Amino acid sequence: MNAISDIAPPQVDLELRGIAKSFGDFVALERVDLAIERGEFVAIMGPSGCGKTTLLRIVAGLESMSSGQLLLRGQDISALPVHKRSTRLVWQNFALFPHLNVRQNIAFGLTLRRHDKAKVKAKVDEIADLVQLGQFLDRRIGQLSGGQKQRVAIARALVTEPEILLLDEPLSALDAHLRIRMQSEMKRLQQRLGISFLYVTHNQSEAFSMADRVVVMNRGRIEQYGPPEEIYTQPKTHFVAEFVGSNNIFDGKVVDVEGGLIKVQCADAVISAAAGERPPGKGSTVSLVVQADKIGSKPAGTVAENSLNAVLSGREFTGSQVIYHLETAAGVEVKMVAQEPFSQTERTAINMAMQLYWSPGDTVVLRPGIVPGVENIPGGRSYVALGA
Amino acid sequence: MVASLASGALPGAVPEAGSGKVTSPMKVLGIGLPLLYSAAFFVAPLAFLIMLGFWLVEDFQVVPAFSLENYLDIAQHMFAKSNYALAIAQSLWVSLSTAFLAVLVCYPMVLAIVYLAPLSRHRLLLMLAVAPFWSSYVLRLFSWQILLANKGIINSGLAWAGLESFQVSLIYTQSATRIGLIHYLAPILIVILYVTVANIDRDLIQAARDLGATRWQAFRRVILPMSRTGLLVSASFAAIVSFGDVLAGALLGGGAGKSVLGSVPLFSNMIMSEYASSTNLPRTSALAMILVLVMILMLAAGAALADRNKIDAG
Repeated sequence: MNAISDIAPPQVDLELRGIAKSFGDFVALERVDLAIERGEFVAIMGPSGCGKTTLLRIVAGLESMSSGQLLLRGQDISALPVHKRSTRLVWQNFALFPHLNVRQNIAFGLTLRRHDKAKVKAKVDEIADLVQLGQFLDRRIGQLSGGQKQRVAIARALVTEPEILLLDEPLSALDAHLRIRMQSEMKRLQQRLGISFLYVTHNQSEAFSMADRVVVMNRGRIEQYGPPEEIYTQPKTHFVAEFVGSNNIFDGKVVDVEGGLIKVQCADAVISAAAGERPPGKGSTVSLVVQADKIGSKPAGTVAENSLNAVLSGREFTGSQVIYHLETAAGVEVKMVAQEPFSQTERTAINMAMQLYWSPGDTVVLRPGIVPGVENIPGGRSYVALGA
Repeated sequence: MVASLASGALPGAVPEAGSGKVTSPMKVLGIGLPLLYSAAFFVAPLAFLIMLGFWLVEDFQVVPAFSLENYLDIAQHMFAKSNYALAIAQSLWVSLSTAFLAVLVCYPMVLAIVYLAPLSRHRLLLMLAVAPFWSSYVLRLFSWQILLANKGIINSGLAWAGLESFQVSLIYTQSATRIGLIHYLAPILIVILYVTVANIDRDLIQAARDLGATRWQAFRRVILPMSRTGLLVSASFAAIVSFGDVLAGALLGGGAGKSVLGSVPLFSNMIMSEYASSTNLPRTSALAMILVLVMILMLAAGAALADRNKIDAG
């Protein structure tokens, strides 16, 4: 905590209070609450159809909400029509005006009100330099590459000095290489300008690499909201554990609680996990989550706290790491990520028996519970992490 | 060196590699059929018409020749007697104003279908808009006669409503011609314009709104400029069809309908009456050629306008 934040408490840029939306019988959003601090980069992540884009469009004013309240810098904007909101949206397909050139596209928002031509030109030049479009201002949109189009879309939104920038999967139309480059570029831009970004994506690495905080959404509600590290290492719900790609989940019953450890009888073995502050009682049903990169393989015969026998069913070499797909005797699939391939002497072969091990400290315990925000929904049983 | 010399000697030569060499029978058929069709039903009759224009009539017999006599004769009557120039001017005035009015009527209709009606209703609405097209053109013109006649339905209706002093005299004016033409053209223009407007990406309109545009600004700055090509294509189409049409000018315009240019017949009506009354077919062909020439000029002007607009937008 530094001195500045002691003096000035974080200000909330955007606050969503109980936003709900239904299309006929289909509930797209169920009472979503969210607060974004000034200058924060927040990513909303979830599978398609989870309501993330609907939420973004509601904030932009392009979609109406069934109930709820929207506050932008403390001001209620719920009833404000789209063109009067100081939010700007960056579109998945860029939505650039094909009949205008780059300069005219960027200037679009500025020329809608009474304006001074020289000032508009200066502003466009400034933002174009910022996104490195200086020499492309006279080009037509059709002459630009994907990455350049993306920059025009961002510049067009930023030049109007929005209070928050909304981005709807802005990198999904780009190829993988460019996407990585634009990620760091976008993050740099956001930090330099100090504007809040609300960024919707279905891509985990995108969300994790750029965002200060990540919202994981599922079926129209927020499952977890926190820094990427927390989402990754401490998933709070079964869904989050599953959605964050590299987790292994073991279901079982608690058989023993002692010495800061709980022992859980799973399909294949008894697995120990750190008990935490409020351990679940004996006999309760829990799910254990272990990240794929926390699991290792050891030579047969050695003893470890948590170990599991499994048979190798597949191997994926991704360059910097190798992903091993294994299956236990009870048919549970296990993923293991190794930073480097095994040594040459110990070649892996399909159907090879392996012994996996990991520490109880790396085992996250989820127990069946009620997800925050869905208390009133009958049958809304889910899993929440201990100590939550 | 040899290769460069060879290619230099034959500037039109097809490069060895590439798609130029590969000609599948399907490709030949695909290009050949439309070419054959157009040769048989467009190029050949047109060539015959051009040729006929140079022929002569001697002793009431059409004689093949290569003479400019017909054209010279027409040129002499441009500003005298038949006054062809005035008829061409009348035709230009009526067809261009008809095109403008037809687009003015159809474009808002298309905007209403695309932006106000739900997508599931578009087809039904388009069908309804196009429905008049399935009835006979002549029948429609007769119906308009009944409506527009001096003692017709509109004037009788006005009289019945107590507006006896307020009577419209539309029949046998070029305004009546325009009404008939617009009614004839509307279904086609609506389809052309619908294709244009429906293809404008909705995200662009929403993007404009998101950037602060009011509904009117979104129309003015995005929808209208993006409709430009469609508007010009449909206007050119309407102008050319109107310029060549005979029936509306005859049945509603009464042959020499009144307009701001006076009671002057349309050029097409003039050709029709010459065709019916004179025995000089080559001379009528020469007149028809002039009509075709003006049409081509109109088309070229429309295309040039579309190009210029593109440059303006850039």
